[in-house]
Amino acid sequence: MSADTVAIGSEGPALEWPEARRAELDQALARYPNRRSAVLPVLWIAQREWGWIPPAAMQLVARTVELPEPEVFGIATFYTMFNLRPVGRHHLQVCRTLSCSLMGADRLFRHLERKLGIGHGETTPDGRFTLRRVECLAACGGAPCMQVGFDYHENLDEAKVDALLEKLP
Amino acid sequence: MRGPLLFSDIDTPGLASIETYRKGGGYEAASAMVGVKPPGECIDVVKASGLRGRGGAGFPTGLKWGFVPKDSPKPRYLVCNADESEPGTFKDRELMEKNPHLLLEGMILAAWAIQAHVGYIYLRGEFEYIQQILDRAIAEARAAGFLGPAVAGRGFALEIHTHLGAGAYICGEETALLSSLEGYRGQPRLKPPFPAVEGLYACPTVVNNVETLMNVPPILKNGAPWFRQWGTEKSPGTKILSVSGPVRKPGNYEVPMGLPLSTLIEEHCGGLLGGMAIKAVIPGGSSVPLLPASKLSTGLDFESMVAAGTLLGSGGVIVIDDQTCIVDALWNITRFYEHESCGKCTPCREGTYWMSEVFERLERGEGRESDIDLLSDVSDNILGKSFCALGDAAAMPVLGAIQHFRDEFEFHVRERRCLVNRRAPGLTERQAEAVPA
Amino acid sequence: MSGSVRVTINGRTLAVPAGTLVTDAARMAEVHVPIFCSHQKLPPLGACRICVVEIGMPKRDREGKPVLGADGAPEIAWMPKPQTGCTTTVAEGMVVATESPGAVKARKGVMEFLLVNHPLDCPVCDEGGECQLQDLAFAFGADFSRMDEAKRTFVSEDLGPVVKKEANRCIVCMRCVRYCDEIMGDDALTAHQRGVRTEISSFDRRPLDCEQCGNCIEVCPVGALTALPYRFQARPWDLRQHVTICPWCSNGCSVRLGVRGAEILRARGTEYRGVNQEYLCVRGRFGYEFVNREERLSRPLLRAGGAHTPASFDEAVAFAAARLESIAATHGPEAVAFLGGEKLYLEEQYLFQKLARGVIGTNHVDARTRFVSPVPGAALLEATGGGRPALSFSDLERAEEVLVLLEDLQGEAPLAQAALIRGQHQLGVHLTVAHARRVKLARPKFRGEWLGVKPGGELALLHGLTRAALDAGDPPDLPREIAAGLPGLKGALAAWTVERAAEESGVPAEALRAAATRLRAAGRKAVLFGRGVAEHPKAVALLLAIGNLGWVSGALRSDGSRVMYLGPHHNSQGALDMGLVPDRLPGYVPVADPDARRPFEQQWGKSLNRVAGMTAPEILAAAAEGRVRALWIAGDHWLRSAPDRALAERALERAELVIVNDLFLTDTARHAHVVFAAAAFAEKEGTTVNCERRIQRAARALAPRRGARSDAEIFTAVARALGASWSHRGPEDVYREIARLAPGFAGTSWATLLPLGPQWSREAPVGGALAPAEDLRPAAGPADGLWLLSGGTLFLQGSLSHRTELLPRLAKPGRAFLNPGEARRLGVGEGEALELAGPTGALELPASIDDAVPPGSVFVPYAFPGVELNRLGSPAGAGLRVRARKAAEAERVER
Ligand SMILES: Cc1cc2nc3c(=O)[nH]c(=O)nc-3n(C[C@H](O)[C@H](O)[C@H](O)COP(=O)(O)O)c2cc1C
Ligand code: SF4
Ligand code: FES
Repeated sequence: MSADTVAIGSEGPALEWPEARRAELDQALARYPNRRSAVLPVLWIAQREWGWIPPAAMQLVARTVELPEPEVFGIATFYTMFNLRPVGRHHLQVCRTLSCSLMGADRLFRHLERKLGIGHGETTPDGRFTLRRVECLAACGGAPCMQVGFDYHENLDEAKVDALLEKLP
Repeated sequence: MRGPLLFSDIDTPGLASIETYRKGGGYEAASAMVGVKPPGECIDVVKASGLRGRGGAGFPTGLKWGFVPKDSPKPRYLVCNADESEPGTFKDRELMEKNPHLLLEGMILAAWAIQAHVGYIYLRGEFEYIQQILDRAIAEARAAGFLGPAVAGRGFALEIHTHLGAGAYICGEETALLSSLEGYRGQPRLKPPFPAVEGLYACPTVVNNVETLMNVPPILKNGAPWFRQWGTEKSPGTKILSVSGPVRKPGNYEVPMGLPLSTLIEEHCGGLLGGMAIKAVIPGGSSVPLLPASKLSTGLDFESMVAAGTLLGSGGVIVIDDQTCIVDALWNITRFYEHESCGKCTPCREGTYWMSEVFERLERGEGRESDIDLLSDVSDNILGKSFCALGDAAAMPVLGAIQHFRDEFEFHVRERRCLVNRRAPGLTERQAEAVPA
Repeated sequence: MSGSVRVTINGRTLAVPAGTLVTDAARMAEVHVPIFCSHQKLPPLGACRICVVEIGMPKRDREGKPVLGADGAPEIAWMPKPQTGCTTTVAEGMVVATESPGAVKARKGVMEFLLVNHPLDCPVCDEGGECQLQDLAFAFGADFSRMDEAKRTFVSEDLGPVVKKEANRCIVCMRCVRYCDEIMGDDALTAHQRGVRTEISSFDRRPLDCEQCGNCIEVCPVGALTALPYRFQARPWDLRQHVTICPWCSNGCSVRLGVRGAEILRARGTEYRGVNQEYLCVRGRFGYEFVNREERLSRPLLRAGGAHTPASFDEAVAFAAARLESIAATHGPEAVAFLGGEKLYLEEQYLFQKLARGVIGTNHVDARTRFVSPVPGAALLEATGGGRPALSFSDLERAEEVLVLLEDLQGEAPLAQAALIRGQHQLGVHLTVAHARRVKLARPKFRGEWLGVKPGGELALLHGLTRAALDAGDPPDLPREIAAGLPGLKGALAAWTVERAAEESGVPAEALRAAATRLRAAGRKAVLFGRGVAEHPKAVALLLAIGNLGWVSGALRSDGSRVMYLGPHHNSQGALDMGLVPDRLPGYVPVADPDARRPFEQQWGKSLNRVAGMTAPEILAAAAEGRVRALWIAGDHWLRSAPDRALAERALERAELVIVNDLFLTDTARHAHVVFAAAAFAEKEGTTVNCERRIQRAARALAPRRGARSDAEIFTAVARALGASWSHRGPEDVYREIARLAPGFAGTSWATLLPLGPQWSREAPVGGALAPAEDLRPAAGPADGLWLLSGGTLFLQGSLSHRTELLPRLAKPGRAFLNPGEARRLGVGEGEALELAGPTGALELPASIDDAVPPGSVFVPYAFPGVELNRLGSPAGAGLRVRARKAAEAERVER
């Protein structure tokens, strides 16, 4: 704490990067002429490490790329793919935008809601699935589509989704 | 052969590997040009070819390259816009997934032309698997000496890096892309200065779309006249169109510019699924006004589309069938822009929210006579008043829909339901989740 | 940018400076163009779009000649879209329309959008009545918005003790975020999420980690950010507003006080006036509260034997006059001394010394009660160029190189710090900060150099810088009288190689050379110093050394001074200017100079004492020994400000007569035989001189607390009781007398002193000749002890800060700040009690770990309530060292 500002109640223990992430971090930082530019890559690394981005991780990222903590918070919340809450093992992201909805994304999403008993942004009690509506995934030709984590699944219908969920651990 | 140019060999197995790519003549243009032909010459050829940007704005590519100041002491940057987030568009994804080296070669040539030694490929966050494909290709190209300290063994250094976004349509807008790449919130910046003069890190920067850059190697290899054998005077070459909606064979099609929209849908895509007829087509991604069925003969090129009151945009062709309610469809699109507005400027931030509120009212069956004019006036108050073109993109489709399908809006008000309703597009609830307190 | 261009706005053509923004050009043309996101201190953003106008340029033909229309007027090519005036700079021939149908529709449209999600809670909004959005909506007529659907909502939150956030009212103009970042350098605010969900908040919604300045509230054009201390206190329209000068530091910000009845309810910046415009620091914005305090003295007190008894003003005056008269009669005028006065207005300071010299006849007058060593009355002026035209804040923002010497501007001069941060951010100012602690301005984010001088090495640092600058060759065009001293200086510095200076100052030789080179090379440059130098035991030598550096580096030039002294109080400069020093009359006229003295003798009708008096530290010693028998202390808590509290206590106990003017019954006042209840700064009209040597008049915002009198009235009454024929009717008359007598003030007039009055300077500068400055006395205290570092901090400044509720709450209880290593060595942890023992006393304080504090030292801010730092003993030689140990083992010391 310094003599001339009001200290913030820093909550929770400070996080550190696990040694295993060092190489990744150095690679990310090496790609740009300044550290600030690495803020997205480094946030991605944090999300890979912890599954979501808790405030303590944002503070760690801020230290890593030498940005003020509030700014990192503003950046992390600007983009939709950084999880501000923990998510399930499988992140089901169903496209809702026009092409997919023309091809039945609505039915598909309602089906998943019923099947998993959760709504948009919610996670099943067993922590297996998180369900989300997302905007156009650039797979309109394979509408309706969804992304599970980073994996694309296209031309879906209720039966295909059921089969898919079976296969997922 | 799926297409005359970029798609001529797109389905060749293993094309993503450098060997296969080189068997097909890959990197020949790079070897022939870099360190051999003066940069100015490359720019002149591209100018002569009449290549126009495929990202949406259709700006002449050679002209843009020419804006980069020759005398500037600052480093220059090349940025590939691989954000592909315009609804209805999925061409760049297939191109990069199947033929990453063509993109790299295009970037090598563009970098040589503008004398940039660093290039970035800005990928939308969802394209993580494509980042892996590109990183692999970059490693191959480096190993083969097409990237690194001495491209093609000549004294020209070039490094290309991939950069993964994290979920923001606005980061497709070039200045927002640059903000995002620099590590700021992805919001647009004032123009002028234009990126060609002050772009990435305030240095001269050229931002080009994936498809645009992929057209460069064939052009420099075969010359401008060869390229001009396709397309029209003002829109030379081919265009890849992503067709979606209830057609028999949706997907990406490379066709000569100027091909009638109807030919694309009826012949290439095999028409609509059983028992449906076309009500309207959005020809250039969700940001452009739709064309009613009556105008399907319009040619797929920049000038004809403008003449028909819409835009070729990114070439995302969304087919809307006769059993879909236009009001539903527009509500769906408007929600998209509300969700993607970066929030920097008032008209777009507040206007998109307001419009979706009015749409919701119409859908609830509580619409009023005045709502239709209200919608067009709100759109008009956004159009040309917003900071960047996202605002316009949200306004134009609504204006177009009301112009061509006013009766469907009036029906909503009068009958308190859709004129037709096979399948409401739906999923129009807001998706925003608050930052945990 | 130079030259001017002609623009036509709504048909009116005018010439404006090239580079002017259309919105500013419109203001010049008296055309109102609303703005929200743009701000005079921030670069254009163009986000809110409310300033949309239509813009056109004359059509030109091939040869570039304007195309004339049928009517012979040049044809205008209008831009297809409306443009934002706040991002467009004017061009020759530009035509701007703000009332054309297109412009009006665009503006109305944006305005309507701004109300889409803005709640209709104006009646319960603190901004109500001065809300720019409300005004504009009103202009368009009430209920013109067609948006009647549900609004997006956020929950309101308190962002710490000062800022209340009502996000629903926010129009995302980003002024607060950008101001916090670019001007305060705090980056405490940010925008969460995006689009219509965009919400301004802090990191993870935690209390703002910042200076708590409240400028984010000031620049918020709506009621999204409001001040918790002012919450629901009043509605603007039932406040009387008066612009006065902030009492909290030497920067002299203009403050707009909002007064209701006999109470100050808030303080705000002035938007376009004063040196600060909208800016205020936390003290200026929230520190006014002491004026309202219940425990203010409301009548004079007299002490016969033990206890104080209330007295009428006349009784007190009669008593004081009688005692002064008899003491002066029996022991001579020299038995009487006058101390303090830095917090008084210029006119009062003048009267204070006029009373001492012109009525009593003593030169024992000194306002510099904190000083440790006897500093000549003109030494500070000489170090800053002897009265040559002075540096201004706008010069500061535009400088290329700024050297901050031994001062933490955050505490001592917040506006100067803000100016430098903005300058660094927007105009490329380069900062060099020489300070033992890594103070805010020395943080890496400001891209400057930090010269971490080790305590006691201050003089060596200056020798090193000066020597390095000299090694680069003789400075060009020194005034003759200055150049005369060059050989002497070179001789004195012969022994001071940069390496030796590095050795003794702890600053690497390369760093010293680089800093000296930057300063010499820079065209526009500035050197800043303050109490860190003036209250240093080596002040005399340090001041000479700063003068030398100024001349050698070119910061001082015959045509002007780029060296600024930042005094401890808002009118410390005035006190020097008005001769509240033992050897100078107002305007630095030497008391020993018969010719220069004469005008005063004529004006005052008395021949004056020609022998220089004693300085404050000398008076302190003399009074303790009984050589001075009567003390008049004006607006100064001497027991806190005197360098040695034990000695000051003895002095007060021994004195036969102690007169104190104060707002409160301080410990010092408790010792007084006569206590005059004084009026506060806001309760009287008067003049101050800030660190730019700018003369500014402060308005009277409210009537004095019942029973309290302005110091001017007190001095005048006593002087008259002593038979003086003082005829002035008020401050204006006194100021006229000052302007007549004090060189430098001649030609200034009361009428022109309102905020942003002139900066005084004089044809004949005081002093001359570079002078060697060698002084190597060792520090006081145990040689192996910790260096005692002290200084003001943002929240605690002078003895009044703890007469407010907010400031001590922000500062938290008194602590001793230690470097982590030091803390480990002593085995104390955060919050654990630490005992500090000096030559004359000891203190016990909770320890606080701060890596900005260097090893081998302990930092204790002065003015922590209850922390009597000067109990430890007076710094001497190089400073003061104290023994520190964990208090657990130490036997308790009672305070
Ligand atoms: C809201 C918005 C989104 C955009 N999205 C993309 C995109 O996803 N991909 C793209 O290549 N261009 C996009 N653009 C166009 C870019 O701003 C820019 O014009 C283009 O990348 C230039 O490359 P080109 O000249 O090769 O087309 C977008 C523009 C706007 C206004
Ligand atoms: S139009 Fe305005 S709010 Fe919308 S995306 Fe562009 S800048 Fe952001
Ligand atoms: S004031 Fe011009 S856009 Fe905000």
